Amino acid sequence: MRGVSNNGNDSASSSFVPALEVRDLRKSFGNVSVLEGISLSVREGEVISVIGPSGSGKSTLARCICRLEEIDGGEVFLYGDRIDNGKHSNRDIARLVGMIFQQFNLFPHLSVLENIILSPVRILGNSPKAAEEKAMALLQRVGLCEKKSARPNELSGGQRQRVAIARALAMNPKIMLFDEPTSALDPELVGEVLDVIADLAQSGMTMMIITHEMLFAKEVSDRVLFMDGGKILEQGPPDSIFTSPKVPRTQLFLQRMLAHVGKELVQAHSDERTWTHDA
Amino acid sequence: MWARSLYKRIPMRGRGLMTLDFSAITPYLHMLLRGAVITIQASFLSLLCGSILGILVGAIRVSPFAPLRALAAGYIYVIRGTPLLIQLFLIYFGLPSLGLNLPAFTAGVIGLTINSSGYVGEIVRGGIEAVPKGQWEASKVLGLSYVHTMRFIILPQAIRNMLPAIGNEFVTLIKESSLLSTLAITELTMVGQQVRSVTYASFETFIMVGLIYLVMTSITSFALQYVEKRWTVG
Repeated sequence: MRGVSNNGNDSASSSFVPALEVRDLRKSFGNVSVLEGISLSVREGEVISVIGPSGSGKSTLARCICRLEEIDGGEVFLYGDRIDNGKHSNRDIARLVGMIFQQFNLFPHLSVLENIILSPVRILGNSPKAAEEKAMALLQRVGLCEKKSARPNELSGGQRQRVAIARALAMNPKIMLFDEPTSALDPELVGEVLDVIADLAQSGMTMMIITHEMLFAKEVSDRVLFMDGGKILEQGPPDSIFTSPKVPRTQLFLQRMLAHVGKELVQAHSDERTWTHDA
Repeated sequence: MWARSLYKRIPMRGRGLMTLDFSAITPYLHMLLRGAVITIQASFLSLLCGSILGILVGAIRVSPFAPLRALAAGYIYVIRGTPLLIQLFLIYFGLPSLGLNLPAFTAGVIGLTINSSGYVGEIVRGGIEAVPKGQWEASKVLGLSYVHTMRFIILPQAIRNMLPAIGNEFVTLIKESSLLSTLAITELTMVGQQVRSVTYASFETFIMVGLIYLVMTSITSFALQYVEKRWTVG
């Protein structure tokens, strides 16, 4: 459903250079190996979901890509530019990659608007006025215009995550990473955040979404990766991964996850949630 | 009869011990207040310089560069592990042997400044480390440098965490400035001793001196509580 809209706005060069490329990425903490040779290529405009059990290295993968973790081996390229060699400032990386955290990580001492414009003003050198206009447009996009003066602690979890998404988008990143964006939310607030992410996917943004929301992953992504034990065990279009997984480990994982979703579906029958209903 | 004489004696003894006669020291009250002004000057200067130096020490204490971190840790370790009195003596009586003669007031303020910077440095370190790691991570992925992150994200939150402890440190510093009397600086405690030696009204003099300290520390506490309230809103 997304393929058509993607091809329309691709520039000529981007069809040759992947937006994100990871080659044989290795990472360990102490003597615990977390990533054991991950290779991955994401084209511009593609939306990939990464699923897998806890501790499979999904989050670490995202954190290595946005350089929150130093890598122990392999290479990471963003638009053909190798970014794991320490030659890029935080600013360089921030212009390419936006990251959304499970715990939102909004700045509690700043208002919603100040959270969003801080980096554009200080790092990109935008004028406060221009940054504010852009921030308001982004707030409109995530449906939170009326909250611009609120402090993060006055917002619900879902609202905080939507502000975090607006804040990341204010830096005009080319790729967005989502590290379990709805895992810290109350169940009834998950839908509003997933709606915003889906909307972003529709707009042609290149995205990597780490999630436990199986139905959402199926609906929104072009490709699904299943990770376990620090390796990508299986990947493919969502339909084939979810309906006919080939690897036994994937089958087992999906059986458990979808059994859980099935229960939720029954419970939430009269609920308005898009992402649990539609599937 | 024995019991009666005992009964008679008690009030007499009581009067001799318990009567406070503040009229003996009232002629010297202005001297005490002048001493208090010196105390305020020395404390205020030391607070100001000590806080600035302390924030610097605290920021270095958590810097990403290990040798700098160790240096700040060593500084804090030595300052907090030695008596203020010895630090003051080293500066006032010790430095002249290196050819550095400082006026008593200057030496005193430098001593208090260095001393409080050690304590403030440790408070700052604690305040910075209490800010969740996610704040650093969010700042990094938004492109902020270390200095920017410190200035716009971490310190504003850390200072809020630190205010109660800083308030304590300010009050402590005002009280410990009484040690400046050992450098013959005519601050409140020194003047108190002078007044006592003239009037022999030890109790009255030192009650008065204590009260003046209490007023100074109370005003400081209240002022800081006010600031704390203002900062924690939102």
